[in-house]
Amino acid sequence: MKANRETKRLFVGGLGEAISETDLQNQFSRFGEVSNVEIITRKDDQGNPQKIFAYINIKVAEADLKKCMSVLNKTKWKGGTLQIQLAKESFLHRLAQEREEAKAKREKSTPGNNNLLEKMEGVNFHMKAVPGTEVPGHKNWVVSKFGRVLPVLHLKNQHKRKIIKYDPSKYCHNLKKIGEDFPNTIPISSLTWEIEGGNDPMSKKRRGEFSDFCGPSKKMKKVPQDKGSTGYLAMNPRSSWMMESPYLTQQQAARKRPCDSITPNKSPPELGSDTQKFNNVLFQTSGLETARKKNSMSDDDIDSEDELKAMIAKEENLRRTTWSLINESEDDPFEVVRDDFKSVVHKLHLTGLDIKNNVSCHVSDNDIMGNDCEYDSGDTDEIIAMKKNVNKVKNSTEFSQMEKSIYKKTSFKNRENSELSGHCIKVQKRKNNVKSALTHGVKPLNCKSPSDSSSSGDAGSTSELAESEEDKEYNAIMKNCLRVNLTLADLEQLAGSDLKVQNEDTESDSLESTTHCKFDRVSKSPKTPDSFHRGRQCIHPEEIVASLLEGENTCGKQKPKENNLKPKFQAFKGIGSLYGKESMKKSLKGNVAPNNINEDQNSLKHEDPISISMENGSTHANGSSNELTPFQHAERANGPNHIQPQKRQSTFESPDRNVVSSSSSEKGSRNPISSLLPLKGKKSLSLSAKTHKIGFDKDSCHSTTKTKVSEEERSDSNSLTSFNKSPKVSSRKDSQESKTDFPLSVSHSLDASAKDKHAEDNQKRLAALEARQKAKEVQKKLVHNALANLDGHPEDKPTHSIFDSDSESETEEIPTQEQSHPGEELVKESVGKASGKLFDSSDNEESDSEDDSSRFKIKPQFDGRAGQKLMDLQSHFGTDERFRMDSRFLESDSEEEQEEVNEKKSVEEEELAEEKKKALNVVQSVLHINLRNSTSKGSVPAKKFKDIIRYDPTRHDHATYERKKDDQPKESKAKRKKKREEAEKVPEVSKEIYYNIATDLKEIFQTAKDTSEKEEDTPWNEDCGGEKPEEIQNPATLKSEAEQPGGFTFSFFGSDAKDIKEETYRVETVKPGKITWQEDPRFQDSSSEEESDITEETDHRKPISEEASVPEKETTRFFFFSKNDERLHGSDLFWRGVGGNISKNSWEARTNNLRMDCRKKHKDAKRKMKPK
Amino acid sequence: MRPLTEEETRVMFEKIAKYIGENLQLLVDRPDGTYCFRLHNDRVYYVSEKILKLAANVSGDKLLSLGTCFGKFTKTHKFRLHITALDYLAPYAKYKVWIKPGAEQSFLYGNHVLKSGLGRITENTSQYQGVVVYSMADIPLGFGVAAKSTQDCRKVDPMAIVVFHQADIGEYVRHEETLT
Repeated sequence: MKANRETKRLFVGGLGEAISETDLQNQFSRFGEVSNVEIITRKDDQGNPQKIFAYINIKVAEADLKKCMSVLNKTKWKGGTLQIQLAKESFLHRLAQEREEAKAKREKSTPGNNNLLEKMEGVNFHMKAVPGTEVPGHKNWVVSKFGRVLPVLHLKNQHKRKIIKYDPSKYCHNLKKIGEDFPNTIPISSLTWEIEGGNDPMSKKRRGEFSDFCGPSKKMKKVPQDKGSTGYLAMNPRSSWMMESPYLTQQQAARKRPCDSITPNKSPPELGSDTQKFNNVLFQTSGLETARKKNSMSDDDIDSEDELKAMIAKEENLRRTTWSLINESEDDPFEVVRDDFKSVVHKLHLTGLDIKNNVSCHVSDNDIMGNDCEYDSGDTDEIIAMKKNVNKVKNSTEFSQMEKSIYKKTSFKNRENSELSGHCIKVQKRKNNVKSALTHGVKPLNCKSPSDSSSSGDAGSTSELAESEEDKEYNAIMKNCLRVNLTLADLEQLAGSDLKVQNEDTESDSLESTTHCKFDRVSKSPKTPDSFHRGRQCIHPEEIVASLLEGENTCGKQKPKENNLKPKFQAFKGIGSLYGKESMKKSLKGNVAPNNINEDQNSLKHEDPISISMENGSTHANGSSNELTPFQHAERANGPNHIQPQKRQSTFESPDRNVVSSSSSEKGSRNPISSLLPLKGKKSLSLSAKTHKIGFDKDSCHSTTKTKVSEEERSDSNSLTSFNKSPKVSSRKDSQESKTDFPLSVSHSLDASAKDKHAEDNQKRLAALEARQKAKEVQKKLVHNALANLDGHPEDKPTHSIFDSDSESETEEIPTQEQSHPGEELVKESVGKASGKLFDSSDNEESDSEDDSSRFKIKPQFDGRAGQKLMDLQSHFGTDERFRMDSRFLESDSEEEQEEVNEKKSVEEEELAEEKKKALNVVQSVLHINLRNSTSKGSVPAKKFKDIIRYDPTRHDHATYERKKDDQPKESKAKRKKKREEAEKVPEVSKEIYYNIATDLKEIFQTAKDTSEKEEDTPWNEDCGGEKPEEIQNPATLKSEAEQPGGFTFSFFGSDAKDIKEETYRVETVKPGKITWQEDPRFQDSSSEEESDITEETDHRKPISEEASVPEKETTRFFFFSKNDERLHGSDLFWRGVGGNISKNSWEARTNNLRMDCRKKHKDAKRKMKPK
Repeated sequence: MRPLTEEETRVMFEKIAKYIGENLQLLVDRPDGTYCFRLHNDRVYYVSEKILKLAANVSGDKLLSLGTCFGKFTKTHKFRLHITALDYLAPYAKYKVWIKPGAEQSFLYGNHVLKSGLGRITENTSQYQGVVVYSMADIPLGFGVAAKSTQDCRKVDPMAIVVFHQADIGEYVRHEETLT
């Protein structure tokens, strides 16, 4: 029985109020062991118990329970029917049970878990491991957040290549923290400990504590045990790597990568971040971070990258060998990536440096080149000069040798020349050209003198042929010659003396000898300085000259001696050779060369005058020959002018050249050069330089032509001059003049005229002819060029730049003009003339331009709109006079048109007005108002709004709108004052009067009091108020004066009113019947007495007997009342019977009150007024 | 670009009259020149005659705007007033509302005017009366509609809306692209 007993919970309902727990317990204890009785009373709102029931916990057997139920159920006990049922267990009990069950469960489950855990982590894993620490011995297992050991997952997206590494230690929020797990683990573990060490409480205790607080220390211990070599892996994985890395070779790098990937995983997030930072600090390259991130994200990527990097690293290592290893080991133990990256960076740097170096080398080379180019392009001669100066130093040192060689050359040349007439001619020609180019007036003479002499000596006819040949050859060699000229010139200058000696020797003309001797002397004497000068000058140009020389020498089959010098100037030589061979190729250096030439010329300019002066001096010293004077002139002209024309000619002669070339067959061959020139010349200076050259060429050509001319002249003038040489001299002069003064033809022809007038005349004519021809040609060329340039050739610059250079040259020449040569101006003029103008003269042009301007001006009759119309009409009818439309036709039209215009305007306006009307109508409809202005809508502009006036201060009309600030306020103030005064006055006045009356009345009344027993008067007075007595008094006073003249004159009304009143009063007075209702005699008496009083009051001055006056003087009345007015009596009657004293007192009080009130009000009013 | 039809004119004038009442007449019938309304791209422009002539030279599809845009017709042919009309309407406004400096910004950001921001209001403004909103410094800020009559405004709690926002000069910045 007892064994079967179970604790049951019974519900006992329907209990009476009286039943207590003990009763229940006793009742149920029969069946079993009652443990707990709980009575619950449910009450309604009023507090009356509705239901009473109880829960009983009873340990009862099944049978007993049934028995109990059957016995007690539905029995009546203590006023209630018991209802017994099995109840559900109480919630507390249930909770307890659940707990117990849970405990039991846990106990069941924990051992398994524990085993697993132990399996997983080994012994030491119960400590609160820092999340992110790697589980030692288990790869890819990491302590996650919340202390779980979880594997590092590598997740691959289906659609993406990327493999994402899921590190549980870093993704905390994905895991749900289950509340029970973490806190329960410890007690469970403790349980396990209990189980294990249940026997030994001390050990248990120890272990329990151990697990709780000694965990970290354990870890510390164990880590070194596990990986002694690696050291504190868990603590500082990076350091471990630091340690490990030294052992790792490049090949191990691949192995490292996974490890690398792990290491950051293991490291706690804070550490990781730190390490990252650290790494960043280490790397100092932001790019690596990303790489590292990638590493952390996916191994594959890392691998691929790492492989690449490894490859690079290997390569690097191959290069660096040990250094790389050391570097790796030392600097980058942690990540290979870094190494590689660094290495890459290094490499890049290195390569970059190398490249840079190379580049720099190249650049340095190129720079030199480029600099040259730039400098060349920059046209900065100074820089070139600088460069050249360096060379110059060498050159200057070598120059002495050069000179020697040149001497030899020249001598050789001369010999050759002497030997080979044709060659000689060529050389001479060259010399001539050179001389012309160099503009040494003396030299060309000297040079020519031999050349001419030689030519003359050889054969007049052959000379021409030779010349033609020369020219051809020239054209062929010209490219070279341009530079050769200088060199030759230099050579000649240097070896001028020798040449001249030779020339003299070769010529050996008796007649000329004197002159030539002079010339020679002259030439020699200046040349020696010149040569010195040259020596100086050559410092600038002669490097180039030398190089060119050499180049030419190579080209020109001359002088094996100079080959020694070649190697030194090879660079230049090359260019020179290029120059010489291909004018087309004229590179930038080529440009330099002409610039130098320019410089040379410039320098020459300065020298030339000196030399000339020297020459002049010598000539003067000699003074024997008449020819010298013209020569001097010529030379002078040549000296300074020579260059000027050259430059100017260079500007203008480019067409001239063409002209010349077109004109002469020789020049035909030159055309290519001229054509080439524009191609060559990209810059003004270079162009100018080239043009200079060509100018020289041209001069030479001219000279040739002139020589021809001179030869012709010779032929002409042979009859005149017995000797060939004298004309030759003249021809020389002419040629010189023609060269130098071709523009100066007039002026220098004059010089020449001193010698041979005929020749001069002929020359003039010819020159004029030629000039004309040239001018024409120039025009043609200009037109041609212009047209050609129109096609979009880039060579159109030359023309412009040439003009610029012209101006420059002019400015340059200003110092040279200090010599004050009269010929210059002429030259300028001539140059001006020579300058390519399409139209003949400026005057003509001006006139033309005027014409043009006038042509395009609108004629007065066509001015304006009417004019336009007229023109239209005229154009419509053509130019026929008969049908020409006059303004007569126009007038009507214009009027009509204007009308039309007006109509149009008006139409538009009307439209707008219409619109406005409509709009206004709409407005009307919208606003539901009648617009007053609706009628005046048509005349809108005339309408003015008065509501809104736009004030215009400039308009005088609007002065009315201006407010005068000063006046009005004053006025207003004054007004206000006045008003105030008035306002104050009025009451004052009234007061005074009031007082007077009151006082009077008081006195009167008082007197009346004293005198008369009856005081009916006062009430009457009171009744009248303040006003009536006033009025009575005033009129009384007035009348007393007014009545004296007689008759009643009251100013209030007209005289008519008086009459009427009189009448009325008369009527009244006639009424005696009034007294009838005042039958009492007392009344009569009193009234009479009163009347007497009043009369006494009012008429002080009138001694009127009361009784007599009453009937008689009824006509004499006061304002409203006549004396002894019966109405007053009536009032007496009315007021009789009222208590006199009381009424009087009350009246006084009232008056006082009234007065006070009045004053108060007045004061208040004043107060109110004041603040405003 | 065309003149407004009768209906359009009526609709527009009704709207404008809400703000300026009979002063509308002064807009239509100006003493200083002829002005007219023109419809272009559904927008109504108030144009001087001179400008109208000049604008006639521009083809319609190229013409962006002319004169002053008063507003636009919606697809449902209602007229919506633009802030650009403020310059013309503000001087004629019959009913005005001044808002406190603190509430200015709120209004200029497109919010309604609360009673707390109401500084001053024209007397006997009826409910739903078009008003021109001014700052306390008498700078016109925009258009609004009185949500409450002046009498009601005295009673309502401070957070009640007093003026419905219609247009404000902040739109010059906010709706720059649509204002022409």
